[in-house]
Amino acid sequence: MDVSQYLDVFIDESNEHIQTLSDNIMALEQEPDNSDTVNEIFRVAHSLKGMAGTMGFKKMQHLTHDMENVFQEVRNDNVKVTSELIDILFNCLDAIEAYVDNVKNTSNEGDEDNAVLIQKLNDFLNRAMGKETAAPAANEAAASAQNAPADASSDAPLYTHLNMDDNDKIKVVETLEGGNTVLGITVHVNHDCLLKAARAFLVYKAIEDAGDILVYDPSSSDVEDEKFEFDFSVLVQTDANPDELKAAIEAVSEIDSCEIGPVTAEMYHEGEAQPAPSAAPQAPAEEANAPAAPAAPAAPAPKAPAKAEKKDDKKAPAAKGKPVTARTVRVDIEKLDDLMNQVSELIIAKNTLVSRANSMESGGGVNFSEQIEYLERITTNLHESVMKVRMVPIESVVNKFPRMIRDLSRRLNKPMDLVMTGEETELDRTVVDQIGDPLQHLLRNSADHGIEDPDVRRKEGKPETGKIWLNAYQEGNNVIIKVGDDGAGIDAEAIKGKAIERGIVTEEEADKLTDKEIINFLFMPSFSMAKKITDISGRGVGLDVVKSNVEQLGGDVEVESTLGSGSTFTVRLPLTLAIIQALMVEVREEKYAIALASIQNIEYIPVTDIKYVQAKEVIYLRGSVIPLVHLDKILDCEEKEEQQESITVVVVKKGDSFVGIVVDNLIGQQEIVIKSLGKVIEDNKHISGATILGDGEVALILDVNSLF
Amino acid sequence: MSKSEELDVIEEAKQQYIVVTLGGEHYGIDISFVDNIVRLSSITRVPKAPAHYKGVINLRGEVVPVMSIRMKMGLEDDQFTNSTRIIILKLEELGYLGIIVDSVNEVVSLGESDIDRNVSNMKETKGNFINGIGKDGDRLISIFDIDKVAGESTKDKEK
Repeated sequence: MDVSQYLDVFIDESNEHIQTLSDNIMALEQEPDNSDTVNEIFRVAHSLKGMAGTMGFKKMQHLTHDMENVFQEVRNDNVKVTSELIDILFNCLDAIEAYVDNVKNTSNEGDEDNAVLIQKLNDFLNRAMGKETAAPAANEAAASAQNAPADASSDAPLYTHLNMDDNDKIKVVETLEGGNTVLGITVHVNHDCLLKAARAFLVYKAIEDAGDILVYDPSSSDVEDEKFEFDFSVLVQTDANPDELKAAIEAVSEIDSCEIGPVTAEMYHEGEAQPAPSAAPQAPAEEANAPAAPAAPAAPAPKAPAKAEKKDDKKAPAAKGKPVTARTVRVDIEKLDDLMNQVSELIIAKNTLVSRANSMESGGGVNFSEQIEYLERITTNLHESVMKVRMVPIESVVNKFPRMIRDLSRRLNKPMDLVMTGEETELDRTVVDQIGDPLQHLLRNSADHGIEDPDVRRKEGKPETGKIWLNAYQEGNNVIIKVGDDGAGIDAEAIKGKAIERGIVTEEEADKLTDKEIINFLFMPSFSMAKKITDISGRGVGLDVVKSNVEQLGGDVEVESTLGSGSTFTVRLPLTLAIIQALMVEVREEKYAIALASIQNIEYIPVTDIKYVQAKEVIYLRGSVIPLVHLDKILDCEEKEEQQESITVVVVKKGDSFVGIVVDNLIGQQEIVIKSLGKVIEDNKHISGATILGDGEVALILDVNSLF
Repeated sequence: MSKSEELDVIEEAKQQYIVVTLGGEHYGIDISFVDNIVRLSSITRVPKAPAHYKGVINLRGEVVPVMSIRMKMGLEDDQFTNSTRIIILKLEELGYLGIIVDSVNEVVSLGESDIDRNVSNMKETKGNFINGIGKDGDRLISIFDIDKVAGESTKDKEK
């Protein structure tokens, strides 16, 4: 058999375990005496070790084994948790992550054996223990015993009365006659186990490392097809130490326990006379072989198979219950995309019907429009549920940040805390996958540039420990993620100086700019404010990358800052990317869609109300000055012949600024499916995409952000 | 096409070309690039796109850009008639691309021996989009170099 088919399971589970370890080690640093945390860490480390071992990743197994030793001592109160230990542990965690990454990319753990790390771990352990080096081994055994729920009550292991055919029996007997040791093994799988076959396979693999499997019960093909309850048995010819083998088997996750013991010849020929309800009908030919078999030396286990008793036993571990984990379904993103496309088509069909109904006006009758309403309801619901399938909490991205801030805090010698809220906020899967880097960058920025050194903070009357926060929440059709700190804030004057120095603006121009506009220079390419370049940030590939990444996802970034009391970056992301509500407008004969989410209001303005500021048209609306953009001009439409008395203005907003778009006509609100313009004319400045209208015509979607 | 010619297709494994007319001349398009041929439907203009891009059309729910090969070759702009067609090409990198032709005639099969690849002397002229001249009886068919027809358009975009 080949392990590659279990690689995915291994990688997924390892990543989960690594994350759990990371979370718990962080928790441990906060409260070093919490025995629950230590136990959890120990359990996870142990599973990791077992998984690595059975998959044949020896280096990873070695490292996790040594980590486990340390946790063992912590658990026994022989070692105190210090920040040095936490550092080493995090280093180990990184190394394990590297192994898993290697496995993911190459199906191989790589060559790095991390001897230095292991040495460090052991040195630490030896120092802390006062050279009590003998202890770990003993404890190790104790640990595995503890890990295995006591199954002692069922004292007749299954392997003593396996179902096997004559050939198998002859094979076993012959092997025994050849002077080899045959071990019987019965493995009990955890009742909550979802992938029994995979576990069984891992167990087989562990056993095969030690010897040859002679007999499977149930047969290996049944086991592969999960055609077994919660236990299975094998007979193995091996020279290995039964205890070691037992430990190796129990190291596989979700294995409750295993029974192991020598098999004697009489178990399988003379033993058949014993009351063994599950025993297969045995052929007389078997008897003929019997006299030749030498008496086995080991004392056979009592043969009364307490089947009923076993059944009761099985229920016990299930009742213990597992830690509650999020029940998720992994769905291939391609399948979702297909589903999405189908929904898109459905919406197009619906739009066709709507436009047909409009053209028929009253002729269609009530029934027809009822049907339309019904169809509309279905498509809206379908759309929503498909969107929900695609939604994942941002947790998967942000949960690595506490660890990152902790590392930065130590490296920069600035005490700081990260407070996160709203990790459960959900976003489209594609957005979540890409939002990690920009957020990480903003956090690093806060840690490096935002938070001051502790003595500076003390002087300013702030608490020495800096505070960084990440708050996520939903607001209408957007998700807002705010990353902020209570640090020094952004010095607008310094940026102004730098912008002038770089020739981005002249001094006179700069004087007219508001602080906010000046701070926005930070988002320009290669505009790093770091006075000294650290390896954390300040290489000039900074906020502009954040901005472009976020904009690629259809969102935007803003920054607010108060000098001396901190700054906050606000990342605004659309909930969904594929279908939006839009306002259809008309310019001459052409139709354009404007995303409803960006529209503030719609105004009819008499031409006489248009004012001029610096030779640019503006309107003055309820206290704010809004610049006007003539859609026909920027889109090169034909000149309009007659002058109208009033203009239709769609006021759109981006952050705090507004622009009024002058259009000829409003058509109405519509749900539109966003399509790409096709690769050859994709990067168009004012057009972000296209959509297909009910009558089959293509309408273009206006990129409102390009107008600011 | 006569029967004997059809037999030749099978025997010599010739390449099939769709013959279209542009300004009275015959051009051949390798059929393996052609996804579809559609009648002229309403084309939505895309502002700020290069001039030879007529716009986009709706092809069974997909938005497909349409290009005027005439304008690209420096001929006068298309006259849309009843026989005007859009050939939808499916390209590996660029996806779908429609090109407007005056009319679509038929499909011919040409072997390598029927095609004169010696067209280098024509490179000087503007709009060199062909990589061979096929001989179908008395008729000459210029074979489009699809990569150049589509490929240069990316350059135009960069301008």
